[in-house]
Amino acid sequence: MAQGGERGGLGWPRWLGRVARAAWPVAGARVAALALAALAVGRPVAGQAQAGAGVRQLHGIVQTAAHTGVMMAVSDAEVIADWRNNDALITRNVRTDAKGRFTLRDLPARTVRLTVRALGYAPVTRTVELGEADRLVTITLTQAATTLAAVAVRGDTVAERLARVAATSTLDAEALAAVRGQTLGESIKHLPGVALIQFGPAVAKPVIRGLNSQRVLVMNGGIRQEDQQWGTEHAPNIDSFDADAVTVVRGAATVLYGPDALGGVMRVDHAPVPTGGPVHGEVAANLFSNSRQGALSVGAAGFTTRVPGAREGVGVRLRLTGRVAGTATTPDYALANTGFRELNGALAVGVTRGWGQSELLLSRFGTALGVLSQAHAGNAADLERAMTTPPRDSGFTYAIGRPDQAVSHTSARWRTLLPLARAGELEVVYGFQYNHRREYDAHGPLRTRNVPAFHLKLFTNQLDVRLAHPRWRGWRGTVGTSAMVQGNQTLGKGFLIPGYDQWQGAVYAQEELAVGRLSVTTGLRGDVITQTTLPYADLGIRSPAETRRWRDLSGSVGAAYLLADGLDVSLRVARAWRPPTVNERAAQGVHHGTAQYELGDLSLGAERSTGVEGSVRYHGARVELDLAAYRNRIDGFIYLQPTAPVVTLRGTFPAFRYAAAPAVLRGVELLAVWRGPAGWVAQATGTVVRGRNVVRAEPLFDMPADRLAVQLRREGEGGAWGRWRLGAGAQLVRRQDGVPSGTVYTLPTAGYALAQLEGGATGATVLGRRMDLSVSVANALGVRYRDYLSRYRLFVNDPGRDVVVRLSFPF
Amino acid sequence: MRTLFPFRRAAALVAAAALAACGDSSTAPGGESEVISRVTLTLTPASGAALTAFIDDSDGNGPTAPSAQQGTLTLAKGVTYTGTVKFENRLVTPAEDITEEVKEEANEHRVFYASTNTGVTFTTTDTDPQGRPLGVRFTVTAAASAAGSAPIRVVLCHYDSAPKVASATSCAGETDIDLTFAATIAP
Repeated sequence: MAQGGERGGLGWPRWLGRVARAAWPVAGARVAALALAALAVGRPVAGQAQAGAGVRQLHGIVQTAAHTGVMMAVSDAEVIADWRNNDALITRNVRTDAKGRFTLRDLPARTVRLTVRALGYAPVTRTVELGEADRLVTITLTQAATTLAAVAVRGDTVAERLARVAATSTLDAEALAAVRGQTLGESIKHLPGVALIQFGPAVAKPVIRGLNSQRVLVMNGGIRQEDQQWGTEHAPNIDSFDADAVTVVRGAATVLYGPDALGGVMRVDHAPVPTGGPVHGEVAANLFSNSRQGALSVGAAGFTTRVPGAREGVGVRLRLTGRVAGTATTPDYALANTGFRELNGALAVGVTRGWGQSELLLSRFGTALGVLSQAHAGNAADLERAMTTPPRDSGFTYAIGRPDQAVSHTSARWRTLLPLARAGELEVVYGFQYNHRREYDAHGPLRTRNVPAFHLKLFTNQLDVRLAHPRWRGWRGTVGTSAMVQGNQTLGKGFLIPGYDQWQGAVYAQEELAVGRLSVTTGLRGDVITQTTLPYADLGIRSPAETRRWRDLSGSVGAAYLLADGLDVSLRVARAWRPPTVNERAAQGVHHGTAQYELGDLSLGAERSTGVEGSVRYHGARVELDLAAYRNRIDGFIYLQPTAPVVTLRGTFPAFRYAAAPAVLRGVELLAVWRGPAGWVAQATGTVVRGRNVVRAEPLFDMPADRLAVQLRREGEGGAWGRWRLGAGAQLVRRQDGVPSGTVYTLPTAGYALAQLEGGATGATVLGRRMDLSVSVANALGVRYRDYLSRYRLFVNDPGRDVVVRLSFPF
Repeated sequence: MRTLFPFRRAAALVAAAALAACGDSSTAPGGESEVISRVTLTLTPASGAALTAFIDDSDGNGPTAPSAQQGTLTLAKGVTYTGTVKFENRLVTPAEDITEEVKEEANEHRVFYASTNTGVTFTTTDTDPQGRPLGVRFTVTAAASAAGSAPIRVVLCHYDSAPKVASATSCAGETDIDLTFAATIAP
């Protein structure tokens, strides 16, 4: 159970993220590379009084040799200290001041890695030993002709600014490799504030602070993922192997990411395209015993100068992933028709030139997945019977029968970064996405059996232009515009949602100011969204053409204050909104998983939320603590309200109409880590969410049950096992009794406790080959349980013991 | 200097993709809907006129409730009627007879009949290729002692993953049709 990722040491700013954008004012002309960076020798700083309790400070100067050999200070260089704590890569960032100086506080008393990057210079990495005392270091940068090497093209540039006052957790590539599950969602399920809605093993949707689907935004490689995310049975169509880092932003983040980010954001970043160096990559295999699943992924990246017409080199990154899973099994029976398959590919090509950097990324995700046979009910009587009949053991198979889904997601993303004077940067991202979803019913007449019941094609174009402006009177920030055009085709033999066109435009600004120990972040965004539903009339179903326009503002103000080294507090107020989605406005039909008749309401207005959150963080040498609490009021919260049953010739269906009412969500999240002697680490992650419909005075449905994950592990380094870890943990989930009345979700679920075992090694040497490997056992005791957020919980238990083997061979 | 990046080609790609996105949205029903909009019961006595009744649902699977039953079913005491059921989709032109599909896929279907009046009994008279009851044809008999209301419930059951069992008395598969005809026993 690895996690980590950091907000910066607040108050003492880590100005920006990994993507450095510093330009040396006088170095406009490119200077040929001089000698290798001459690293100054660090020396202890005498008489540092503050260096108590294992917390260290690192002071330094960043300079460069000017043409004449005179050393000049490099201002606004990005200085990153990082170290590894178990699986988590912990980082601290600062920027140098006008005299090239920096100070990093609350570092651990151990060896850390220091990386210094500035635009126009080759990056420098070195290790600094802080075990004994605070240090002062001098870093000398060398001007480079092609200078953006270290400025990774990684998603968008805005993430880390927000991270300073918003609650954020990141899994980097190594942490991801250790926890990678069957789906991308499964990899983040142990992060604080996060839960999953599962629709069988193949579909896992992130729930952040109690909200999901259209209230959680997924950013994939810098553009918002548009894959019919309103459906709780529609998982993010992203290859989990292609993710190089996954960041979860908890709480409304609409200013930078746009409406819909009411609950939070899951950011997926991909590995940068190389700007030099030899071909490298990995072959990774994951094996899951429960569904006898195998996944193989091959990734390679390289740099070539032999491209016709190109005077300089081109970086290329490639990945191919395949996955085959059979029937999942509970401790007592196999879950009929729960196998799935994936075949994914991604190709990125990038160039780095004097004018900046540009990258084209093409990717395709394809999956075919079975839907649990019992979870398809013809009418309410069938549902009742499916819920009360003991599940049949279907036996194991890799075959996928009906009902099932076939989904593909094809995207092209073109991103260009143009550095500007005085550390400014212009970023232009264009994205095209095509999502193709086909859902097949359990049965039908033979002649139309292979015609999908629901058949949707979603085309999305996005253009984002962001300007990270130079510092102005102490303010740094981003101003940007965002535009999106989307068209949906509805083609199936059944009706789910109508076709529609959607246009969105936005302007926004997010700015931050640091004054001593106080850091303030504020942002404002205006959006205009137009949605036109297309008329539908077939076999009695009527859905009208209608155009609606919404206009609204989002905003946030946050402040973080460094109380003492390693201890900071932050407070944030955010206002966010989102327009109703097309299914909330125009759905009409039976939801076969729950035998519910769902009816949209074209007159629904936008949801508007006002949230307050606060957090306390402590990072000591032995103890790490991150406590966050929030209250989020959503006016016009859209939910399914029970209404008069719908009678058709098929029988009677409990009916639900999308309705709006004020709702309040409150919660606390906790992450606590204790690092004892001899590599012992104890860790706990806890999440509590309460959602309430204020008008009906009852709980909201789909709220995660209270959960606490604890783990004790031992870690070490050395020998053939490289960096190894061995641990055991438990996932404790309380009974969910906060359920609304009058729906199938009324049924509470019992609490449960699952045991987990984990062992792994990074950089192990096996038979002369370097490799990373891990073995984990989920639900080690084979407990029978049903999670409240499992869509199959009405019918069957959740899967039993699963032994997961993850192997990776770097080359 | 700025040789490589294929701006022009990329611009063309952008334009093409943009066209694909906004010119194309549509709501085009696949024309393959599986809807039953009318169920008709025909009960024929050994001698005399046949009884016929049907129930329509003008919006198929839509939220509007089915219309009132057309035709009355008045069963004579002690008489056995030969019954047939007909499933139709009359929302398309020409109307589709779904009963033919039920018969073609007899191994996966079964029609159940039941009444809350214990004096009324049903017997299925047709079978699927494996010899299990189908139920498109049946007989219904009102006992000499029967009286009062005798609603007839018709359930079209579809067996997909659930096995079709010959001795079953109610649907264990997925319900395609579940409706009740009003009927009375002649005094």
